[in-house]
Amino acid sequence: MVGKKLVVDLTKCVGCRYCELWCSFKHYGVFSSSLSRISLIKDDVLGLDYPTVCTFCNPAPCVASCPTGALSRLDNNVIYVDSGRCTSCSKCVNSCPYGALKLDPNTLKPIACDLCGGDPICVVKCPTGALRIYPTSVIKYGLEELSRLLGKSFEVALQAHKELMRLWGVRIE
Amino acid sequence: MFVLSRLYGYAGKVLRINLNNYEVRVEETPKELVRGYLGGRGFNVRRLYDEVGPEVNPLSPENKLMIATGPLAGLAFPIGARLNVTAKSPQTGLLGDSNVGGHFPAEMKFAGFDQIIIEGRSEKPVYLYIHDGTVEFRDASGLRGLRVSEAYCKIRKELRDVRAQIALVGPAAENLVKFSGIFFNVCRPAARTGLGLVLASKNVKALAVRGDGYLEVANPKKFEEIVSMLEESIYSHQQYWPRRVMGTSRILLAANMLGFLPTKHFQEGTADYSYRVSGERLALEYNVKNRGCFSCILPCSRFYVVKYGPYAGYFGEGPEYEALAGMTVRIGNKDLNAALRLISLINDLGMDVISVSEVISWSMELIEKGFLSKEEVGLNLEWGDVDSVSQLVEMIARREGFGDVLADGVAKAAEKLGRGYELAFHVKGLEMIQADPRGLKGYGLGFAVSSRGADHLRSEPFIELADDPDLGVKLFGEPEATLRLGVRGKGRLVAYYENWCAVVDSIEVCKNIAENMEILQPRQIAEVLNAVVGMEVSEAEVLAVGERIVNLERAYLVREGVRRKDDTLPKRFLAEPMSNGPSKGHTIELDRMLDEYYEVRGWDPTDGVPTAGKLLGLGLNDVVEDLRNRGIRLSEVATLAAEGSVGSGVNALSNHQRVRSFKLFGGG
Repeated sequence: MVGKKLVVDLTKCVGCRYCELWCSFKHYGVFSSSLSRISLIKDDVLGLDYPTVCTFCNPAPCVASCPTGALSRLDNNVIYVDSGRCTSCSKCVNSCPYGALKLDPNTLKPIACDLCGGDPICVVKCPTGALRIYPTSVIKYGLEELSRLLGKSFEVALQAHKELMRLWGVRIE
Repeated sequence: MFVLSRLYGYAGKVLRINLNNYEVRVEETPKELVRGYLGGRGFNVRRLYDEVGPEVNPLSPENKLMIATGPLAGLAFPIGARLNVTAKSPQTGLLGDSNVGGHFPAEMKFAGFDQIIIEGRSEKPVYLYIHDGTVEFRDASGLRGLRVSEAYCKIRKELRDVRAQIALVGPAAENLVKFSGIFFNVCRPAARTGLGLVLASKNVKALAVRGDGYLEVANPKKFEEIVSMLEESIYSHQQYWPRRVMGTSRILLAANMLGFLPTKHFQEGTADYSYRVSGERLALEYNVKNRGCFSCILPCSRFYVVKYGPYAGYFGEGPEYEALAGMTVRIGNKDLNAALRLISLINDLGMDVISVSEVISWSMELIEKGFLSKEEVGLNLEWGDVDSVSQLVEMIARREGFGDVLADGVAKAAEKLGRGYELAFHVKGLEMIQADPRGLKGYGLGFAVSSRGADHLRSEPFIELADDPDLGVKLFGEPEATLRLGVRGKGRLVAYYENWCAVVDSIEVCKNIAENMEILQPRQIAEVLNAVVGMEVSEAEVLAVGERIVNLERAYLVREGVRRKDDTLPKRFLAEPMSNGPSKGHTIELDRMLDEYYEVRGWDPTDGVPTAGKLLGLGLNDVVEDLRNRGIRLSEVATLAAEGSVGSGVNALSNHQRVRSFKLFGGG
């Protein structure tokens, strides 16, 4: 995806799984966590709520692992599954370093995030802003000169803030 | 009558597990049950009435534990997903019923089931792994004695399934503590009325559910439209942010302002240290993030980390108002850190924190008044002595020493001790929640008539907190109906809200959002049922389902021997004027409110038994026959005036403008 960035903010995720249901509804017209491209990993003792999403790695181990060439990467970076060539061998699922890929329990073919064509429903429906798409932009702010003129403490603070802004899709230069 | 072509929204199956012979039966979800009772609480009470009669001992294999959810769990419906657990209660001997949120109900439907019925008793300790239409009986001998969090971790490791949802009982249930609960998602208990003990009596430590199934709605386009509308009305609601930041913990400070806190076992209605133990302080100093129930867009559960003092580094989820007030003001404790630790301890042992707060604060008052000695208890149990409280909690869970006396609940404890009857604060054997009815008279009436004992969630007539007489006239034809210290009109108010709550508990969504925030009024519930289930149902029919459930529960209680004399409140609330605060000088005029309530309900005011006319009007013909066969006298007809008055309440409320600026809820 060019010019946009999907950000997961773990301090905001509440583990409600509203994203899962809308994902399955958008793709299949039914509600099922097992048919969702996004999956919540939870632990109720630790208070863990972690949305597992496709990170669109490049190169992608899932594509590389497929023995029949059923998986390929499209121009917009998402993984395309050619169901006709898929033999349900699960190699792609096992190769995913994030555990983000799974098989449709009915067809036994992998289901991969397609970003809903650019406007992911999980992001639209997330009630807390834990999932957000940020436009990527670059702001020229004269960082080096500012740091030099305003001193060490400002430079350190700015570095930290740069990281934060990066999460929001903004690159400060 | 509406037509159901198929069961959209529902999973469509009922699972019946007989532990005597490990036989499993899968039945269709009966369409007549859907039409008459919608789901959850309604499903369960109908089966309890039919299958668990007065001859059944609650701890015998003949008792049945039922778990049911509704048509909306598992859908992307923004008001959460809940379920109802029902059995004959070992604590009260009457209707056992508790409602819980979290992630279990949706997973149960993905596994294929709207209702799970557990019958009999297993010879060996087991836990049940229910997945994709099947049941595995798994050995639980290694789980015995484990606390809730320990058992949760162990079962997850055994099942090797990160998504399995687990409901389980703690050591308290295994030690026969009467007020032990069933714990979902570790810290979400179905805790009231001792249902954990019923599960433990069947030799079942836990249930785990997991499913790859899917659910459909009748009209997807309409469903999406309704959801968008609901999302907007929730996000724009003025209670959205206070609830998200504090959950129900925010009630503590508000209750102090209005004077209905249960301070020192209801001796006072306020506490000068209330901020120090408030939800506001938790939000400022403790909470680090939120957690939510399945498919809820108002995630109101909070995860906290204790930062200072002897419990620094301690973390957990919650607490809600009932637990918070119970382990602070009710026992005279000003130390918030200690309260959090106590609440977690009680949960981890698997008990109902409301009942625990009563038996302990009751003991404290008896000691203060000289009716009980510290030697008898074996602890220096003074107000706010959290170390003694902590020890006593463990003693209760193990039934050790004085803990054994308290473990049967406050009513039985007073009997065993032969003292403190009048100070034992319960209704029908279930301990009082954290609100003094002298400052909330509609709630007080609700406690007295509630079908599971002293509990606010059967009626939750929050609108009396509006303290707006014009609203009372508009909705119920009586200005006092919506004044919290008013008396007239409260029968009508409580009956209406009971019907609404019964529906909310049966479609199994969050009562805070649906009812307290008025997001799902009966008219909207009718629209939702239309889109999801394909039911052509009117607002009046929705409320009739609620009325049917309330009447069936009443009939169940009547069959067990309950009459008007049991619809009462502890003497303190009836006879001792409130000592301080904004409700000072008030008692609760229960008899006057009860007369009106029975009249509105169409129940015989002399004994509180539903009239045959009322039951027949709700289609409960078989119940009339059953009660008469058992020699219970039913009056023939409901007074026509009573039917009319419920009706007018219905119409009035459906047309009223939403009132959101209640003082209690931070609006006005």
